[in-house]
Amino acid sequence: MTTSSEPILRSSTIRQSMVISALFIGGLLVANLLLFNPGQVSVVVLSGFYQGMLFFLVAAGFSIVFGLLDVLNLAQGSFFMLGAYIGFAVYGALPEGTPIWARFVAALLSATAGGALLGALTERVLIRPLYARPVFQIVLTFGLGIVFTEIIRSIYGPAGLIPVEPPAALDTTFPILGARFETYRVFIIAVGAVLMAAILLLLKRTRIGIIIRAGVQDSEMVEALGINVRQIFTLVFALGCAVAALGGMTAAPYLGAYPSMGDQFLLSAVIVVVLGGMSSFEGTAIASILVGLTRATAEQISLQYLRTPVLASLSILIIMVIVLLVRPSGLFGRE
Amino acid sequence: MPEPAHRPAIANWLLPLVLVLLLAIPLGAAVAIGEPEVGTAGLAKFSSAIGSVACADGITPVVTILLIEIGVAVLAVVAAFAVGKRSAWLFNLLREQGAQYIVLLLLIAIPFIIAWQTDSSVCSRGKSYFWQSVFIEAFILATLAISYNLIFGFAGVISFGHAAFFGIGAYAIGLLILHLEWPLGISVLATLIISTAMGVLVSVIALRIRGLYFAIFTLVFAEIFFVLAQNRIMTEITGAEDGFTFGVPDWINATKNRLTFYYLALVFLIFCYLLVRQLVNSPTGRVMNAIRDNEDRALMLGYNTFTYKTLAIVLAGVLASGAGILRGLLNKGASPNVLGVGFTIDPLLMTLVGGAGTFSGPVIGAFLLRLVEQSLRDTVLTLGALQVNIGERWFLILGLLFIVIVIAFPSGIVGTIQSSWKRWQARRRGRDGPK
Repeated sequence: MTTSSEPILRSSTIRQSMVISALFIGGLLVANLLLFNPGQVSVVVLSGFYQGMLFFLVAAGFSIVFGLLDVLNLAQGSFFMLGAYIGFAVYGALPEGTPIWARFVAALLSATAGGALLGALTERVLIRPLYARPVFQIVLTFGLGIVFTEIIRSIYGPAGLIPVEPPAALDTTFPILGARFETYRVFIIAVGAVLMAAILLLLKRTRIGIIIRAGVQDSEMVEALGINVRQIFTLVFALGCAVAALGGMTAAPYLGAYPSMGDQFLLSAVIVVVLGGMSSFEGTAIASILVGLTRATAEQISLQYLRTPVLASLSILIIMVIVLLVRPSGLFGRE
Repeated sequence: MPEPAHRPAIANWLLPLVLVLLLAIPLGAAVAIGEPEVGTAGLAKFSSAIGSVACADGITPVVTILLIEIGVAVLAVVAAFAVGKRSAWLFNLLREQGAQYIVLLLLIAIPFIIAWQTDSSVCSRGKSYFWQSVFIEAFILATLAISYNLIFGFAGVISFGHAAFFGIGAYAIGLLILHLEWPLGISVLATLIISTAMGVLVSVIALRIRGLYFAIFTLVFAEIFFVLAQNRIMTEITGAEDGFTFGVPDWINATKNRLTFYYLALVFLIFCYLLVRQLVNSPTGRVMNAIRDNEDRALMLGYNTFTYKTLAIVLAGVLASGAGILRGLLNKGASPNVLGVGFTIDPLLMTLVGGAGTFSGPVIGAFLLRLVEQSLRDTVLTLGALQVNIGERWFLILGLLFIVIVIAFPSGIVGTIQSSWKRWQARRRGRDGPK
């Protein structure tokens, strides 16, 4: 509905968006260098990337799903949360004597699989009957998010679980320019970066990816070419949920698992997707880093000068309002 | 349906006039037999006379008269249905509008009926007093749902930030009274102006982008206010997470004069209901419906859809903040939860349950959900080995309700009943039902 019959993004517009994003990130770095000492700057940059990757992990699925299916999946955040809980359950259920790294890997894998399974099921059973009624789809995913959160809350209680122990090699800190930074957060950055590259490769270099991108352009046309778009829809929805669930389990050893963690990330992820231009995956990737850096900078500023984290949450909200005013379709969105 | 041609002009005003008369009778009786406190004069004498009759425990003359009136009204409507189609205009009028007036009479009588049933007084602590507050909340939520239905059900714009308007109503009135010490009336007016400006702002920013973006924008917009309201930087002004309290004039103080507040909230609800109905049935409302059904077509026909959607959003925002004002006055304070996502979920779900795009749907949905929640709050269901405390799991039930309704009953209670009624009538006439 929104994506069909619109012109393909011209390369000059992409270049323009790239320049805007680069200027933005550069500006942030300069501001950092002016305000803080080198140690702080490196921590801000690292923690900006860390936050950005977390946002990316929730936003990636959101963006691909919206691009192809025209579905705003407001339950995306709860898949992030479910991933953490599934992973924790598997981590704890493995027999005594299993080494920690094996538990950890098993938790990551089971979270991903669980997310994919639940996602596929959701698309098949709940989303599919509603393609003709997009407004009700939003309402449905909204309700689904509540259901997931409440089910977890009623099983595990509202307080949240104590973070599981990651492998020892990741559970340390390392010095950087006079400050210290947790290795585990770097691991999260690495997971995010790997997934980012993997999804990009999937979209650009595989047959499935080409079908997905073609579907984003015009899904009716793809169907007319004899491809079962419905199956691709299920696959993409499952993929999006799996990435979010994996993200949740990746983040949980650092953040802990609690029922409302999804809602928290959903809002930031939504902002990332809007900033990046809804159905553009590259846009989402760049915007997530942009938002992460902005947030980290704002956090540091409020910590240093205001002693309350007001700026952290407000900064990205304000940036979104400004970007929407200047470029209603987001940084990389189609006009 | 062909209208009988010979309906006199007074017909449209007849039922409201009768209603006013019906209300004047118990009031007049109370004044006539009441014994005012010694030393009172003018309005105070009048209200103490009413109070002495109305506030007595158990069955009072007021409740007797109200019950008789309700009985007469029900009989009249039943008679109108029994007489059938080819009859005088009066019966047609009763068939069309009678039910609304019975419901209205019932809502007016409910504090007294509960007082009579539970042997408590409508004016002091007791069962009736308690249920009055539940109903006041239901009225406020119903008003909120009506305002939401205007944009969601009639203009087809989905917003996830309706709580912002509601919360701004509660916060603005409180902050104006608390910090600027403005009188109540001026504060109310200022709050409504603020929410109008807010509605225009949201429309101008967010309506430039179409459809689903608007939903996202409103989600974020509401979050901004939520973050601001509970931030510690604002402790001096808003009391941060704890919120703040403010004083209200005695006559509107819901702890002292709850019955007054009850009728105030009821009147506001009816006002909003009529306003939205009038608007939707006007040419402007037709265009809004057209936008909901197919915006491109409405644009193509030459309508400036932006203007119409802005109108819907601003009006809905003002009504929602009106509900927020009442909520603020009811609690004599405001806390960040009035800006939270709960007050977006509630009107959305109430509208869906009752029936989006119907007039009575949101009201029915609001009453149903609020009253069911209240009566099941402490109930524990046992399903096999599973024990479910309804009050604790209320949000889970709401979430499941969302899914069931969206999948199975997208037109809600009123919509489903309306369409099956139409089908039934069509079959009775021996024609094929609508496809």
